[in-house]
Amino acid sequence: MSRYVLHQNSTINIDARDYQILFLSSFLFLGIFTLGWDTDLLKYSLLIGSCLSLQYAARIIFDLKLSSLKSAMITSLGLCILVQASHWYWYLLIAFIAIGGKFILRYEGKHYINPANFGIIATILLTDQVWISPGQWGNLAILFFIIGCLGFIVTYKVNRLDLSIVFLMSFLILEFSYQVLYLQWPLDHLIQGFTNGGFLLFTFFMITDPVSTPAHKTMRKFWALGIAILAFIIKEFYYVPSAPFWALFYLAFTTPLLTYLFPAKIFLWKNTTQNITLKTNN
Amino acid sequence: MNKIKIIIPIILLSLFFVTDSFAFCGFYVAKADAKIFNKASQVIIARDGNKTVITMSNDFQGNVKDFALVVPVPQVLQEKNIRVVDRNIFDKLDAYSAPRLVEYHDPAPCNIYPSTAKRKMSIAGGRADMVVEMEATKEESDADLGVTIQAKYNVGEYDILILNATQSNGLKKWLTQNGYKIPRNAEEVLDPYIKSDMKFFVAKVNLKKQEQNGYTNLRPLQITMNSPKFMLPIRLGMANGKGNQDLIIYTLTKKGRVECTNYRTIKMPTGMDMPTFIKNDFGNFYSDLFKKRWERNRGKAVYLEYSWDISPRNFVKCDPCVSPAPNFSDMQRAGAWWVEGSQNENVHFTRLHVRYNRRKFSQDLVFQTTPNKTNFQARYVLRHPYQGDVSCSQGQNYVHTLIDRREKELDNLEYYTGWDSYNYNNYISDWEDKIERKKYKKGSANPFGENPWAVILFLLLNASVVISVLKLKRIK
Repeated sequence: MSRYVLHQNSTINIDARDYQILFLSSFLFLGIFTLGWDTDLLKYSLLIGSCLSLQYAARIIFDLKLSSLKSAMITSLGLCILVQASHWYWYLLIAFIAIGGKFILRYEGKHYINPANFGIIATILLTDQVWISPGQWGNLAILFFIIGCLGFIVTYKVNRLDLSIVFLMSFLILEFSYQVLYLQWPLDHLIQGFTNGGFLLFTFFMITDPVSTPAHKTMRKFWALGIAILAFIIKEFYYVPSAPFWALFYLAFTTPLLTYLFPAKIFLWKNTTQNITLKTNN
Repeated sequence: MNKIKIIIPIILLSLFFVTDSFAFCGFYVAKADAKIFNKASQVIIARDGNKTVITMSNDFQGNVKDFALVVPVPQVLQEKNIRVVDRNIFDKLDAYSAPRLVEYHDPAPCNIYPSTAKRKMSIAGGRADMVVEMEATKEESDADLGVTIQAKYNVGEYDILILNATQSNGLKKWLTQNGYKIPRNAEEVLDPYIKSDMKFFVAKVNLKKQEQNGYTNLRPLQITMNSPKFMLPIRLGMANGKGNQDLIIYTLTKKGRVECTNYRTIKMPTGMDMPTFIKNDFGNFYSDLFKKRWERNRGKAVYLEYSWDISPRNFVKCDPCVSPAPNFSDMQRAGAWWVEGSQNENVHFTRLHVRYNRRKFSQDLVFQTTPNKTNFQARYVLRHPYQGDVSCSQGQNYVHTLIDRREKELDNLEYYTGWDSYNYNNYISDWEDKIERKKYKKGSANPFGENPWAVILFLLLNASVVISVLKLKRIK
């Protein structure tokens, strides 16, 4: 009988991406089992499979670390949660654009687009056969709480909490001033929009991607403010559902300029790594 | 720098994207203090690009002189943009897309190989009518108001005004003074609509015209608008108190299914076997099923009841069809202006059902058109047992499976509608009597039903957990 043996003093490296993978997959399960999303296994396996295999191919070409697959896993889970398409083959295109964009749109050795966001919006622009359902999350208070807490942990770990908070607060102030103070909607009209699961996911899990956000501390706060303002304009004056996603898509292209003007230390995943050493006596 | 070159065309490209979707709905307000019972309101929305044609059903039951309608619209409508259409277009779309029953008849179990027996299928139609109460409130009226009449039309039996208002108090007073009652809960949205630069489309019945026309019922109003907004202003029509209102929305689009962007769009449960006795009570059955679903989702959702590609070239317009599918002239009457009857036109039909109240629905309904062309229908299956001789051994097996099936049907009924299956004992016991030697034991002790694989999987899982726990202990 074979026996599974742990190596003595073996080390498990856990970085912030592992938390993200854990949390994002829990949201996917939550969606399928409590919110009644379609259990479209083909979709999920296509997205995850193609993202991982593309990343694996890129790993061979660019000689990347094995742990870069974690990033692809996060992208694919984000896609599983957010995107819907009219045919299965569009999922392949989304994955291709998401992972491909990551290796083409680079500046100073790092990509400046958020892969999942770029994959979705670029495919919408190119094909019009893909869509985001902002309504699919509903407005459960408990969901609001869970996503908020878990998002807080992840953004704190990758040191991007400032970004989330600036975005959330400035968007809230803009929406409050316009909807409640100017248009005079009752307050619950405003709250409805902010308790949307998709919006929170965007706030804590999408714009906080540490690689594609500007590294300079002050600049990234202005950058988050810019996303909030653009999202507000797109939402209130162009009536586009899921406006924040569009805002991030456009503003991602300003990141190289910001990085050029305000250079700062590049983010490395390994800086978030916790070493957990298991002592075994076997 | 090469990267910058890539960026610019993408930004330019994306600036040209067209915003998805948009439209409107109305609400009926009672004039004076008449208490009115309205059936579920119905709206047809045809939309492509920024153009929206919206048709509002009018099942106002009461004295026609008490009828009054107020709809916020995004622009001053021209006379050519307003017309009245025949009421039967609603009946047609409703009958076509209503939740449906499908019936199957079991073949004779004796002397027939079940695999070769064909199942006869027939269709029973039926739909649930829900009654909604709308209340009017008492308000005092006053003069001098900041309300301007931007246009005045007479269309069919209606007198129509397009109002522009500068402040909510003035508008409220104007409406009250002229006999339009806004529910108290809805007043809070007048300001937001005015500030969003909405105009108010108000309609009353011209009694003389109505007599001349000889129509006893009021016909639906259809208005055409151009706006990027794809929404239904339900807030203005919200009645007082906790009352729930039902609204059925039929949409016709070129692209595909319509879904709500600020509330969840949930599919109604479909395809389950249900006890045969619901056939005569289908209205109540569906009404309770909807209610249960609505309660499970805490009220906050929009329900998809039907979604089908009804393009002229698509031959299968329903499965099964409860009533004839809308033809191209029906689609035109429903507002789908792009349909002319040729084979390469696209029309997708969606039926959404929403039960709303002030507490759960703080925002107006906002929609988007998705490229999703998947067909969907709310369909419930009735399987009628074979009524002849079941004394042969195959027949006895059949009775056993039939009893199991009927137990499942009752479970389904209880789960989906909340009806107590205890009240329908004879639905099963009638067949237990047909078992010749009473061997049959009701209920099964095996929690996994008849699937042995589930048991094996369960045991394997448990074993692996136990083994891994033991191993971990040893490691320590």
